[in-house]
Amino acid sequence: MMSAELTVLTLAGLLQVLQFGLMSVPANVELGPGKTLSPRDRSRLGGSLEDQLSERTARLYRALNNHFEGLILFTLAVVVVTLGEASNTLTQACAWIYLAARIAYIPAYAFGLSPWRSLVWFAGFLATTVMLLTALFS
Amino acid sequence: MFGDELTILGLYGLLVVATLLAQATGAMGQLGMGYLLSSRDEGRTAAGMAARLERALANSVTAMALFAPAVLILEARDGFTPLTLACAQIFLLARVVYLPSYAFGVTGLRSLAWSGGFFATVALYFIGLA
Repeated sequence: MMSAELTVLTLAGLLQVLQFGLMSVPANVELGPGKTLSPRDRSRLGGSLEDQLSERTARLYRALNNHFEGLILFTLAVVVVTLGEASNTLTQACAWIYLAARIAYIPAYAFGLSPWRSLVWFAGFLATTVMLLTALFS
Repeated sequence: MFGDELTILGLYGLLVVATLLAQATGAMGQLGMGYLLSSRDEGRTAAGMAARLERALANSVTAMALFAPAVLILEARDGFTPLTLACAQIFLLARVVYLPSYAFGVTGLRSLAWSGGFFATVALYFIGLA
Protein backbone atom coordinates (compact mmCIF):
# COMPACT_ATOMS: atom_id res chain seq x y z
CA MET A 1 0.00 0.00 0.00
CA MET A 2 1.43 3.35 -1.02
CA SER A 3 1.57 6.12 1.55
CA ALA A 4 -0.47 9.26 0.89
CA GLU A 5 2.73 11.19 0.14
CA LEU A 6 3.87 8.67 -2.49
CA THR A 7 0.40 8.61 -4.06
CA VAL A 8 0.52 12.40 -4.35
CA LEU A 9 4.05 12.25 -5.76
CA THR A 10 2.82 9.87 -8.47
CA LEU A 11 -0.10 12.16 -9.26
CA ALA A 12 2.24 15.18 -9.33
CA GLY A 13 4.42 13.32 -11.84
CA LEU A 14 1.37 12.68 -14.01
CA LEU A 15 0.40 16.34 -13.64
CA GLN A 16 3.78 17.23 -15.11
CA VAL A 17 3.07 14.92 -18.08
CA LEU A 18 -0.29 16.67 -18.52
CA GLN A 19 1.35 20.10 -18.30
CA PHE A 20 3.85 19.06 -20.94
CA GLY A 21 0.97 18.10 -23.25
CA LEU A 22 -0.90 21.34 -22.55
CA MET A 23 2.19 23.31 -23.57
CA SER A 24 3.59 21.21 -26.40
CA VAL A 25 0.41 20.75 -28.46
CA PRO A 26 -0.30 24.49 -28.95
CA ALA A 27 3.45 25.20 -29.22
CA ASN A 28 3.80 22.74 -32.11
CA VAL A 29 0.72 24.17 -33.81
CA GLU A 30 2.00 27.74 -33.45
CA LEU A 31 5.63 27.17 -34.41
CA GLY A 32 5.21 24.35 -36.90
CA PRO A 33 7.27 21.15 -37.09
CA GLY A 34 9.94 22.93 -39.19
CA LYS A 35 10.99 24.78 -36.06
CA THR A 36 10.15 22.31 -33.29
CA LEU A 37 11.84 19.35 -34.99
CA SER A 38 14.93 21.41 -35.89
CA PRO A 39 17.92 21.68 -33.55
CA ARG A 40 16.36 24.98 -32.49
CA ASP A 41 19.42 27.08 -33.23
CA ARG A 42 18.77 30.75 -32.62
CA SER A 43 19.90 31.57 -36.14
CA ARG A 44 17.32 29.24 -37.61
CA LEU A 45 14.49 30.28 -35.30
CA GLY A 46 15.24 33.97 -35.40
CA GLY A 47 15.38 34.37 -31.61
CA SER A 48 14.33 32.35 -28.61
CA LEU A 49 11.57 29.80 -28.96
CA GLU A 50 9.50 31.19 -26.08
CA ASP A 51 9.33 34.65 -27.65
CA GLN A 52 7.58 33.24 -30.72
CA LEU A 53 4.76 31.57 -28.82
CA SER A 54 1.38 33.18 -28.26
CA GLU A 55 0.93 34.82 -24.87
CA ARG A 56 -1.09 31.95 -23.42
CA THR A 57 1.27 29.23 -24.68
CA ALA A 58 4.28 31.16 -23.36
CA ARG A 59 2.56 31.25 -19.97
CA LEU A 60 1.99 27.49 -20.10
CA TYR A 61 5.67 27.10 -20.97
CA ARG A 62 6.70 29.12 -17.92
CA ALA A 63 4.22 27.22 -15.75
CA LEU A 64 5.75 23.91 -16.91
CA ASN A 65 9.28 25.06 -16.07
CA ASN A 66 8.17 26.36 -12.71
CA HIS A 67 6.65 22.99 -11.86
CA PHE A 68 9.92 21.19 -12.71
CA GLU A 69 11.54 23.22 -9.94
CA GLY A 70 8.69 22.70 -7.49
CA LEU A 71 8.52 18.99 -8.28
CA ILE A 72 12.20 18.37 -7.56
CA LEU A 73 11.89 20.02 -4.17
CA PHE A 74 8.62 18.18 -3.44
CA THR A 75 10.20 14.84 -4.44
CA LEU A 76 12.97 15.48 -1.95
CA ALA A 77 10.43 16.30 0.78
CA VAL A 78 8.46 13.09 0.08
CA VAL A 79 11.65 11.04 0.16
CA VAL A 80 12.87 12.36 3.51
CA VAL A 81 9.39 12.09 5.05
CA THR A 82 8.94 8.51 3.76
CA LEU A 83 12.42 7.15 4.51
CA GLY A 84 12.61 9.07 7.79
CA GLU A 85 9.27 7.47 8.73
CA ALA A 86 8.02 10.92 9.64
CA SER A 87 4.66 10.65 7.88
CA ASN A 88 1.74 11.99 9.89
CA THR A 89 -1.58 13.76 9.29
CA LEU A 90 0.24 17.07 8.80
CA THR A 91 2.65 15.81 6.12
CA GLN A 92 -0.20 13.99 4.33
CA ALA A 93 -2.31 17.15 4.36
CA CYS A 94 0.69 19.15 3.09
CA ALA A 95 1.16 16.71 0.21
CA TRP A 96 -2.45 17.11 -0.90
CA ILE A 97 -2.24 20.89 -0.50
CA TYR A 98 0.84 20.84 -2.74
CA LEU A 99 -1.01 18.91 -5.45
CA ALA A 100 -4.11 21.11 -5.25
CA ALA A 101 -1.95 24.24 -5.43
CA ARG A 102 0.00 22.99 -8.46
CA ILE A 103 -3.23 22.11 -10.28
CA ALA A 104 -4.71 25.56 -9.53
CA TYR A 105 -1.44 27.18 -10.62
CA ILE A 106 -1.94 26.17 -14.28
CA PRO A 107 -5.21 28.03 -15.01
CA ALA A 108 -4.09 30.84 -12.70
CA TYR A 109 -1.04 31.34 -14.93
CA ALA A 110 -2.77 30.68 -18.27
CA PHE A 111 -5.51 33.22 -17.56
CA GLY A 112 -3.17 35.69 -15.85
CA LEU A 113 -5.05 35.68 -12.54
CA SER A 114 -2.97 38.04 -10.41
CA PRO A 115 -2.20 37.72 -7.50
CA TRP A 116 -3.81 34.26 -7.33
CA ARG A 117 -1.06 32.57 -9.30
CA SER A 118 1.52 33.80 -6.77
CA LEU A 119 -0.66 32.85 -3.82
CA VAL A 120 -1.24 29.26 -4.96
CA TRP A 121 2.47 29.00 -5.83
CA PHE A 122 3.26 30.08 -2.29
CA ALA A 123 0.82 27.53 -0.83
CA GLY A 124 2.63 24.72 -2.64
CA PHE A 125 6.03 26.07 -1.65
CA LEU A 126 5.02 26.43 1.99
CA ALA A 127 3.51 22.92 2.10
CA THR A 128 6.82 21.51 0.78
CA THR A 129 8.85 23.46 3.34
CA VAL A 130 6.62 22.23 6.19
CA MET A 131 7.18 18.62 5.04
CA LEU A 132 10.95 19.14 5.04
CA LEU A 133 10.90 20.70 8.50
CA THR A 134 8.63 17.95 9.87
CA ALA A 135 10.99 15.25 8.57
CA LEU A 136 13.97 17.03 10.11
CA PHE A 137 12.48 17.54 13.56
CA SER A 138 10.52 14.31 14.00
CA MET B 1 14.79 7.04 11.89
CA PHE B 2 16.99 9.29 9.85
CA GLY B 3 20.30 8.08 8.59
CA ASP B 4 22.68 11.02 8.71
CA GLU B 5 22.92 11.31 4.94
CA LEU B 6 19.14 11.71 4.85
CA THR B 7 19.35 14.56 7.35
CA ILE B 8 21.83 16.22 5.02
CA LEU B 9 19.43 15.71 2.11
CA GLY B 10 16.66 17.36 4.15
CA LEU B 11 18.96 20.22 5.14
CA TYR B 12 19.95 20.74 1.53
CA GLY B 13 16.26 20.99 0.60
CA LEU B 14 15.93 23.78 3.16
CA LEU B 15 19.02 25.49 1.72
CA VAL B 16 17.31 25.52 -1.68
CA VAL B 17 14.20 26.97 -0.02
CA ALA B 18 16.39 29.73 1.50
CA THR B 19 18.05 30.35 -1.89
CA LEU B 20 14.66 30.71 -3.51
CA LEU B 21 13.53 33.20 -0.87
CA ALA B 22 16.71 35.25 -1.37
CA GLN B 23 16.23 35.19 -5.15
CA ALA B 24 12.57 36.21 -4.86
CA THR B 25 13.50 39.07 -2.50
CA GLY B 26 16.10 40.34 -4.98
CA ALA B 27 13.67 40.07 -7.90
CA MET B 28 11.02 41.89 -5.88
CA GLY B 29 13.42 44.77 -5.31
CA GLN B 30 14.43 45.09 -8.96
CA LEU B 31 11.37 44.08 -10.95
CA GLY B 32 8.71 45.15 -8.49
CA MET B 33 6.01 43.17 -6.74
CA GLY B 34 3.44 44.22 -9.36
CA TYR B 35 5.47 42.62 -12.14
CA LEU B 36 6.13 39.43 -10.15
CA LEU B 37 2.41 39.03 -9.45
CA SER B 38 1.57 39.60 -13.13
CA SER B 39 1.86 36.93 -15.83
CA ARG B 40 5.39 38.19 -16.63
CA ASP B 41 4.58 38.40 -20.34
CA GLU B 42 7.19 41.15 -20.87
CA GLY B 43 10.06 38.86 -19.86
CA ARG B 44 11.85 41.48 -17.72
CA THR B 45 15.24 40.38 -16.47
CA ALA B 46 17.07 41.21 -13.27
CA ALA B 47 20.69 42.36 -13.11
CA GLY B 48 23.56 42.21 -10.63
CA MET B 49 23.10 40.25 -7.41
CA ALA B 50 19.44 39.42 -8.13
CA ALA B 51 20.48 37.85 -11.47
CA ARG B 52 23.35 35.97 -9.79
CA LEU B 53 20.91 34.56 -7.22
CA GLU B 54 18.68 33.43 -10.10
CA ARG B 55 21.58 31.52 -11.66
CA ALA B 56 22.63 30.17 -8.26
CA LEU B 57 19.09 28.88 -7.70
CA ALA B 58 18.98 27.14 -11.08
CA ASN B 59 22.36 25.57 -10.37
CA SER B 60 21.24 24.48 -6.87
CA VAL B 61 18.17 22.76 -8.30
CA THR B 62 20.36 20.87 -10.79
CA ALA B 63 22.69 19.83 -7.97
CA MET B 64 19.69 18.68 -5.94
CA ALA B 65 18.39 16.54 -8.79
CA LEU B 66 21.80 14.86 -9.00
CA PHE B 67 22.50 14.50 -5.26
CA ALA B 68 19.11 13.09 -4.20
CA PRO B 69 19.24 9.88 -6.34
CA ALA B 70 22.79 9.13 -5.14
CA VAL B 71 21.61 9.23 -1.51
CA LEU B 72 18.55 7.12 -2.42
CA ILE B 73 20.64 4.44 -4.10
CA LEU B 74 22.84 4.21 -1.00
CA GLU B 75 19.82 4.15 1.31
CA ALA B 76 18.12 1.40 -0.70
CA ARG B 77 21.29 -0.71 -0.71
CA ASP B 78 22.18 -0.07 2.94
CA GLY B 79 25.38 1.41 1.60
CA PHE B 80 26.02 4.17 4.12
CA THR B 81 29.57 4.24 5.49
CA PRO B 82 31.67 6.92 7.21
CA LEU B 83 33.03 7.72 3.73
CA THR B 84 29.57 8.35 2.25
CA LEU B 85 28.73 10.52 5.26
CA ALA B 86 31.91 12.54 4.66
CA CYS B 87 30.98 12.95 0.97
CA ALA B 88 27.48 14.15 1.89
CA GLN B 89 28.95 16.58 4.45
CA ILE B 90 31.40 17.91 1.86
CA PHE B 91 28.50 18.33 -0.58
CA LEU B 92 26.43 20.34 1.91
CA LEU B 93 29.39 22.46 3.02
CA ALA B 94 30.37 23.16 -0.59
CA ARG B 95 26.84 24.19 -1.52
CA VAL B 96 26.59 26.45 1.55
CA VAL B 97 29.82 28.18 0.43
CA TYR B 98 28.64 28.28 -3.21
CA LEU B 99 25.64 30.49 -2.51
CA PRO B 100 27.33 33.60 -1.00
CA SER B 101 30.34 33.20 -3.28
CA TYR B 102 27.99 33.48 -6.27
CA ALA B 103 25.86 36.24 -4.74
CA PHE B 104 28.92 38.39 -4.03
CA GLY B 105 30.75 37.39 -7.20
CA VAL B 106 33.79 35.77 -5.58
CA THR B 107 35.48 34.40 -8.70
CA GLY B 108 37.43 31.20 -8.12
CA LEU B 109 35.80 30.34 -4.81
CA ARG B 110 32.43 29.82 -6.46
CA SER B 111 33.86 27.40 -9.01
CA LEU B 112 35.90 25.65 -6.32
CA ALA B 113 32.81 25.20 -4.13
CA TRP B 114 30.81 23.96 -7.14
CA SER B 115 33.53 21.40 -7.92
CA GLY B 116 33.57 20.22 -4.30
CA GLY B 117 29.83 19.55 -4.39
CA PHE B 118 29.94 18.01 -7.83
CA PHE B 119 32.78 15.57 -7.17
CA ALA B 120 31.36 14.62 -3.75
CA THR B 121 28.14 13.67 -5.60
CA VAL B 122 30.05 11.71 -8.25
CA ALA B 123 31.92 9.87 -5.47
CA LEU B 124 28.56 8.86 -3.94
CA TYR B 125 27.49 7.32 -7.25
CA PHE B 126 30.71 5.34 -7.55
CA ILE B 127 30.40 4.10 -3.96
CA GLY B 128 26.71 3.30 -4.47
CA LEU B 129 27.33 1.34 -7.66
CA ALA B 130 30.49 -0.44 -6.46
